[in-house]
Amino acid sequence: MSDALASLGRFLPELLLMGALAVVIVADLATQAWSLARSRNLLVGLTLAGLGAAFVASLGEPGGGSLFASMIADDGLLGVLRPLFALTAIFTLLFSLRAKELDGARMGEMVALLLTVTAALMWMAGSVNLVMIYLSLETVSVASYIMVGYRSSDRLSNEASLKYILFGAVSTGVMLFGLSLLYGLTGTLDLYGVRAALAAEDAGPALILVLLLVAGGIGFKIAAVPFHFWCPDVYTGASTPVTAFLSVGPKAAGFAVLIRFFYSGIAQPGADGTFAAVGGVDWQGLIIVLAVVTMTLGNVAALLQTNMKRLLAYSSIAHAGTILIGAAALSSEGIGAIVTYLVIYLFMNLGAFLVVILVHRVTGTFELEGYAGFWKRSPLLTVAMGIFLFSLMGIPPFAGFFAKLYVFAAAVEAELGWLAVVGVLNSAVAAFYYIKVLRIMAVDPGDGELPALRFSRLDGALLLALVTPNVVGILFGGALEQISEIAQRLLDLA
Amino acid sequence: MNSLLWLIPAIPGLGAAVNGLFGRHLGKRASAAIACGSVAASFLLALGFFFTRFLAEGGASARVEQSLFEWIPSMGVEWAYRLDSLSMVMTLVVTGIGLLIHIYSVGYMSHDGGFSRFFAYLNLFTFFMLNLVLGANMLLLFIGWEGVGLCSYLLIGFWFERPAAAQAGKKAFIVNRIGDAGFILAVFLTFVTFGTLDFYGVMGEIASADMQGGVLTAIGVLLFVGAAGKSAQIPLYVWLPDAMEGPTPVSALIHAATMVTAGVYMVARSGVLFSHAPAALALVATVGALTAIFAATIALFQTDIKKVLAYSTVSQLGYMFLGAGVGAFAAAIFHLMTHAFFKACLFLGSGSVIHAMEHAEHASGGHRHYTEMQDMRNMGGLLRHMPRTGWTFIVATIAIAGIPPLAGFFSKDEILWKTFEHGHFVLWGIAAAAAVMTAFYMSRQVIMTFLGDFRGGAAMEKHLHESAPSMTVPLVILAAGSVVAGFVGVPSALGGSYRLHTFLEPAIYAGGQAPPAMPHNYALEYALMALSVALAAAGIWFAWRRYRNAPTRDASLAGSGAYRLLLNKYYVDEIYDATAVNGTLRGGEGLYRLDQRVVDGAVNGSARVTMLSADLSDLSDRNVVDRAVNLVAEILGAASTRFRRLQSGLFQSYALLMLLAVVLLAGALVLWS
Amino acid sequence: MTAAQVVFYGACLVMLGSALYVVLGRNLVHCAFALVATLVGVAAFYVFLGADFLAGAQVLIYVGGILTLLLFGVMLTNRIYDLKISTGAVQVFPGAVAAGLVFAVLVWIIRSVDWNAMDTGAPGPTSEPLGKLLIGDYLLPFEIASVLLLIALMGAAMLVRRRTRP
Repeated sequence: MSDALASLGRFLPELLLMGALAVVIVADLATQAWSLARSRNLLVGLTLAGLGAAFVASLGEPGGGSLFASMIADDGLLGVLRPLFALTAIFTLLFSLRAKELDGARMGEMVALLLTVTAALMWMAGSVNLVMIYLSLETVSVASYIMVGYRSSDRLSNEASLKYILFGAVSTGVMLFGLSLLYGLTGTLDLYGVRAALAAEDAGPALILVLLLVAGGIGFKIAAVPFHFWCPDVYTGASTPVTAFLSVGPKAAGFAVLIRFFYSGIAQPGADGTFAAVGGVDWQGLIIVLAVVTMTLGNVAALLQTNMKRLLAYSSIAHAGTILIGAAALSSEGIGAIVTYLVIYLFMNLGAFLVVILVHRVTGTFELEGYAGFWKRSPLLTVAMGIFLFSLMGIPPFAGFFAKLYVFAAAVEAELGWLAVVGVLNSAVAAFYYIKVLRIMAVDPGDGELPALRFSRLDGALLLALVTPNVVGILFGGALEQISEIAQRLLDLA
Repeated sequence: MNSLLWLIPAIPGLGAAVNGLFGRHLGKRASAAIACGSVAASFLLALGFFFTRFLAEGGASARVEQSLFEWIPSMGVEWAYRLDSLSMVMTLVVTGIGLLIHIYSVGYMSHDGGFSRFFAYLNLFTFFMLNLVLGANMLLLFIGWEGVGLCSYLLIGFWFERPAAAQAGKKAFIVNRIGDAGFILAVFLTFVTFGTLDFYGVMGEIASADMQGGVLTAIGVLLFVGAAGKSAQIPLYVWLPDAMEGPTPVSALIHAATMVTAGVYMVARSGVLFSHAPAALALVATVGALTAIFAATIALFQTDIKKVLAYSTVSQLGYMFLGAGVGAFAAAIFHLMTHAFFKACLFLGSGSVIHAMEHAEHASGGHRHYTEMQDMRNMGGLLRHMPRTGWTFIVATIAIAGIPPLAGFFSKDEILWKTFEHGHFVLWGIAAAAAVMTAFYMSRQVIMTFLGDFRGGAAMEKHLHESAPSMTVPLVILAAGSVVAGFVGVPSALGGSYRLHTFLEPAIYAGGQAPPAMPHNYALEYALMALSVALAAAGIWFAWRRYRNAPTRDASLAGSGAYRLLLNKYYVDEIYDATAVNGTLRGGEGLYRLDQRVVDGAVNGSARVTMLSADLSDLSDRNVVDRAVNLVAEILGAASTRFRRLQSGLFQSYALLMLLAVVLLAGALVLWS
Repeated sequence: MTAAQVVFYGACLVMLGSALYVVLGRNLVHCAFALVATLVGVAAFYVFLGADFLAGAQVLIYVGGILTLLLFGVMLTNRIYDLKISTGAVQVFPGAVAAGLVFAVLVWIIRSVDWNAMDTGAPGPTSEPLGKLLIGDYLLPFEIASVLLLIALMGAAMLVRRRTRP
């Protein structure tokens, strides 16, 4: 009990989020009679305050110990990802104010879901116990299903939500089965206990099954091939702010679980920051296969998309593949590279989705044709999109270059040079579809004379907030490496 | 003074920021002043460094280094600039010729709506180009490398309302992806091998350990793949001719004088590495020579004034790589420098001509397509109307043709001589043949454009006039440069002392040893020199004979297969489209189908099965999923209709695929462990 | 065969048979009742595993609570009572192959692994240690489960609610 009390102090961001959740639920009920706009303003304001407080509380040095009887690791990885989740949620909330799909929608449930899912992402990223991993993952999933189906009158949204639920149920079920097998093998739920048990005695072929089942659950969250089938449909069906959120938040948390499970649970840190698999199964090959297949299929399938949200869905699959390269490196550097990638990915991908939202506001379409002639209507938006897409391509001088650089460097350091080559070639392929979007925006003539775009002040602020890191990021290699260095301090490595 | 080094790139960067962010509110004058002023400031700073540090005794080995901050600590990479004799020459070329082209652009772009945007791009380009030449390590060079590429795409597509321009920008971008993939892999390989990316560090280690071949060959080849992309060598040259869709000053600055020569600079910068990787060097030389002749043959019969110059540029870049490939890095840089003068002069001259043509067309009420205005078959006799443009063009043509004592003679002849001296007789033969062609097609261009009678119609001719001084003054300066620039590298055979070469060597062979000079064989050198002058003269004479009285006589060749082959550039674009581009797309489609259609097919199949077994009740649904869904929905009293439409078959198929994949992965893992 | 074994295999049979009927049956009410049998079979498993609390909870919550609610719903919604449900067999062959493969893998692994068996002392009451764990070491998962349920409840209500405001 005293441990629980002592842990509460290090649990402030999550507590703030839960507090905000209680407040918005009550506020939602209390303002039923208010006008939509008024209650919406109040709820968004309250949520923003909660998320902002959680963001601020999550900054600063991580404590280094574990919380709640070794359920949560209060280590560097969590320390870096907590503010990332809070920031993603803040952007999502502000996006949802500008998304046409959510015009006139009640926000009560949306903000409650957002607060819950943000907290759950933090739990997920910190979990070092099999039960915690499953529960937090399930919480994120359930909240995500509902967010995807938020527009209950929209058929696509409902279909997407249902599809997501079915895939999610299968994937988490499969993962749960794997986790229970692992418990059967090792007799403990604690990840570090699992490692100790596996290091003491090889688990044999059962561990292979466990790895695959768990990889299925994680692969579902990060949208890795062949667990990606839900992704394009769900991205298309969900309202765009939710899509943006899904493409960044749960993906990042999924990678955190991947690091925890594979690096802490079934691998042992060796000398000079490398990790070695324990339990008699060399799972590096599994990650490599997943990385190559995911990258390649994501990029190639994206080439043929004509819908912007589908294109970005496949692009996000491809990025997951690229990040997996970092995971295959089996080194602290790899962990750092993953986290660096996730941080940069937040800004570039949310930026691209913001443009999608703003374009949809005026054109009402997500089809690529709808992007024609945007240079004439808004050079600013076109330039911003250009910056986001170039960053996603990984072309210097934009920040996305660093993301790819560190991942490939980690692979090369781990003597996986050929994997880096595959990654570089994939990036070259990716250029095709990103540049296609830009060409359509800048070059193709739109239908007739369309009015120039007007931005609200919020749009301008959001664009600025997302463009700036992409442009000046290239100067901040040192700061990025500090973040990466913190993230590498896992619970047992601190 | 040393601490001011960062200002050389920073000032144009600042200019770009100001013009990019506030350009619209500044007005054209202020925009132009900021753009030209910032490049001028950089040029003056560079001159300052040159006079104070490099012109003094032993200045050739002077080094100005400035590290701004620790950039990528884990790789030990700093944001550091280094000015040595090689980057000094490059910096002077970039800022000096860049300044002239900026000034020229003020006149050329004066009526364009995107005036401030244009100058923002141009300044941004200068910023990145200076990062490229001043970067002390490969990564900073790469940042500049990609940055200039970006500006190049933006500037090629500047008039993106022309579909051809947009297409060209996209093509340049895509082709360069391939090259850049090579470059970044070279960077990784270098880092893994040497643990550093600093040029001096890497080169010093190679020299001191006297490494040979092996990994150096791999790095060299990968670097050259990058260089071939940026500097338009076979097989990646296809983007450069199309890049002429951009405004002409851009063609002059980026696609002739500076950016496209970045590959040559990079090879020279890695001179020590390439010297220790003979196989890579041989590849550079061979590709260079082949590109030189290949592009020269295409240039023979082009009719677009800029296309001729574009292929000429590709060909001349081939020369530079040939020089570098035979180990004469200094000669390559020498040619890079003289080429910057005369090719910039030629491009700006062609811009002046196009400007005059378009102006005259508008003034006479015509509305022909812009490609007609660049067609030399519609020109002729322009020397009378635009004497300054004409004469500077002619001077630059003589320079590129290789007639002494103009600049091109010294640099080109040196490459030829070095090729011969190192025993590459076949390559020498190829390069010599290309030299004849160069003289031929350039003379043809002068004759078709400036001599004879105007063929564009009398109405238009009345309105032809010389361009504004802001355009002709840079032309005159560049023409003067084309005359004298060669004197910095007069060979010892002609009483000179290879001043540029001795100046460059400490930088090119930094950390290592310059290879020992070959014993002089003046007699042979004189003979070859005479031969190359004779070849150039022959080329000019052929062109004179052929076109003097019938400038458009090529039309009669239309039936000839060889002529059509050349006119259509060997159909390389078409071949690439048919193979690489379509191949990728088709492969993509195949994989996408695997992802989607296989599933759909399974669904369709399952749909049939489902139809057969479906109950007649209209309330019933197709399968388990919907049944469960409906159950819940009905029980809760909610409308179930919205769930009905779920293409429920998909789910089972996806799940099945996932399951199969897991089983396959399991098998793979079992085999792996 | 001991009495315990007889009961065990009997429970297995009941569970599998009723589960099959749930999937294949055409009458919704019959299916719901078959589900009762399946869930009771699962409870029997818990008894065999010495998990007395879990077995009780299973019967109380699933059979007593959820299923009863379900049946109420079915019976109160008269349209659904007569509903005939058909199950289309989707991808019989590949499905069977995949299922067979998975089954084979599972059997192989279960048989080949030396499971980390817990000590097999006489089964005693588990509710007290369980309660202690839930407010001790597993306090956080316990609380998070409540958040999960809250959000699931909210979501369920939201997804089926008709729009009350435009």
